Amino acid sequence: MTQQDTTKRGRMTFRELTARPWRHRPLSEDFAWLPPEGDTPARWFSVGEWHERIGAWQQHLLDTPNDGDSWWLFEPDPIEFSAALVAIWERGDRVILPADSQPETLSDRRDAGVVLGSSGLPPEEGPSTRLPSRPPRWSSGPLPTVAVSLYTSGSSGDPQRIDKRFDQLDAELATQASLWPLLGQLVVSQVSHQHIYGLLFSILRPLCEASPFSAQPCRYPETLHTWLRCCKTEGRRIVLVSAPPALSRLPEALDWQPERAALETIYSSGAPLSKDASDQVFERLGKPVHEIYGSSETGGIAWRVQQRGSAWTALPGVEVRHDEESRLWLRSSHLETSNQWQRQADLIALTDDGFELLGRADRIVKIGGKRLSLTAMDRALATLPGVERATTWTLQRRDLRLAAVIQLSPDAMPHDHRQHRETVKRLRRALAARFETPALPRYWRFVDHWPTNTQGKLSAEIRQRLFQDLDDRRAPRWLGEYAEEGAWQVSLEVPERCAYVDGHFDDHAVLPGVTLVHWTMQQARRLFALKADFTGLERLRFPQPLLPGDRFELTLRHRQDASHHGEAGASLRIDCDSRRGKHVSGRIALTARQELKR
Amino acid sequence: MATTALEHELKEMIIETLELEDVTPDDIDPEEPLFVDGLGLDSIDALELGLALQKRYGITLESEAESSRQHFANLRSLAALVESRRQK
Repeated sequence: MTQQDTTKRGRMTFRELTARPWRHRPLSEDFAWLPPEGDTPARWFSVGEWHERIGAWQQHLLDTPNDGDSWWLFEPDPIEFSAALVAIWERGDRVILPADSQPETLSDRRDAGVVLGSSGLPPEEGPSTRLPSRPPRWSSGPLPTVAVSLYTSGSSGDPQRIDKRFDQLDAELATQASLWPLLGQLVVSQVSHQHIYGLLFSILRPLCEASPFSAQPCRYPETLHTWLRCCKTEGRRIVLVSAPPALSRLPEALDWQPERAALETIYSSGAPLSKDASDQVFERLGKPVHEIYGSSETGGIAWRVQQRGSAWTALPGVEVRHDEESRLWLRSSHLETSNQWQRQADLIALTDDGFELLGRADRIVKIGGKRLSLTAMDRALATLPGVERATTWTLQRRDLRLAAVIQLSPDAMPHDHRQHRETVKRLRRALAARFETPALPRYWRFVDHWPTNTQGKLSAEIRQRLFQDLDDRRAPRWLGEYAEEGAWQVSLEVPERCAYVDGHFDDHAVLPGVTLVHWTMQQARRLFALKADFTGLERLRFPQPLLPGDRFELTLRHRQDASHHGEAGASLRIDCDSRRGKHVSGRIALTARQELKR
Repeated sequence: MATTALEHELKEMIIETLELEDVTPDDIDPEEPLFVDGLGLDSIDALELGLALQKRYGITLESEAESSRQHFANLRSLAALVESRRQK
């Protein structure tokens, strides 16, 4: 395509899906951009070539037995995906988009339909690109009532199906086309089109606005860098459809300055982008990020550019208010019923220039830009062998990662580093069929009693204590405690990365006895409310050292009346045992610090 | 095969950067896959690792990202990448 052609199309082009925009483009027009690969230079894939892919899929659908009118489509290749989508619609059939290709997502499906594309199930036909190209046949039949069905994780923990009619999709697409017309610019996507955001922004918008998209997803920043350079040379501008995980990790060392002229707009959705990340993108790529807030159920709700402010502005056609619980209420043409107010799970606060998001009222989180129901994760964990009870929550570490507290039966409990690793691997492997890798718990705490505060709750304080060793390299890994006949039993582990472990990277790393005494005193002070200025005179034996990863029980008995060497005072009887035997036994005479000084 | 000094350094870098709290350098088999079935790393880790390589060794991954990700297959291939491309 020449520069002139691009200029000629410099006004907004938009054709609704119901007007079947795929039929109306000149066959020679650029449909998709095949990026450079190795020695192969970039090239353009024409509308005519794409039509032949639609024809290929039409034949494939004819050849594939299906008693109903539904097709499950999981197809990562954008050209093939869009061709399949149109082929199914042209038949008057419905497309169901699974959120991922996890085998259980597809085998658990309760809705009828035949699985197409490079799904997790064994493909009968091999890659879809092998389907022979052939001319498309445009039917005179009507489009289906439901354009696409998507799956999300609902607050109940079970995936929910969301049906999108053409008018809902068209309302959104028209809004976006009027706010930010694509004008023939190249759409480059870093997100999956199996989800609503990617579907709308990287497939359907280009389709309705007669703009080309990249035939490959742009997964890495280095790829984006190359593609920008490529497009700069060609005089083509890129519209980047991205998400926080990619945008918050743009390498500084790549020299964006010369290439960024080829970048026109950046979109982000899936989760709010941090202000820092937003500023960093602006500084490196020279364009502000347009963040879209919405969900599969609601479609687009609002947008913002953080360099102008943190508040969200409702999209045209979307009305926003909140109730006394700060819950968001919506009325929108993107919803299933456009004239009704609907309550959402998000909490908001209205501001002068829009609204701020305050979080969610349910247990849905986003990890790596993907929605995850913590309820579903907890349930899945609880069904695994050896697991008696489980809960997960997110830790704000390296973005967002899942922490899991798992109560295991005694025979499933790991007692040393090797067993701990095996247990984690076993559980992660069992979850891998249902959840994507980034969603799997990363920080595991195995307990034998459910850790609670005195009100019986796994409180914020208890949670913090369970993961204290992540931030404090001098702390043991605390795994619960209980009182029994005047004694406290505390379950602990020696963190592998503990600062006190000698010879951390040697073959014979051990925990020094002095650290164990230090930890014991810390626990005793907390459990028996000893004054901080108490210190101990030790009479202890250390039969064998603890190793990194060892799980051990610390038994503490506090005696007020004990007397040693004629001094009145308190003492602490301590025993430290692991599966391998005894590590400490003996008594600590507790002495006020002042007395020691004398 | 013995682990080289660089491989050991990379193990420590992976553990620290990705906060693999229960992994020790000995747990990382140089030949075992780093991603999914082996060490269990994921796409977010891949991005973090790319940044860490750049910060520590000045390595900018090549543009054919897919092939540069092949360097991430296991520790040995990662070490080979650092060996051949390190700037510092």
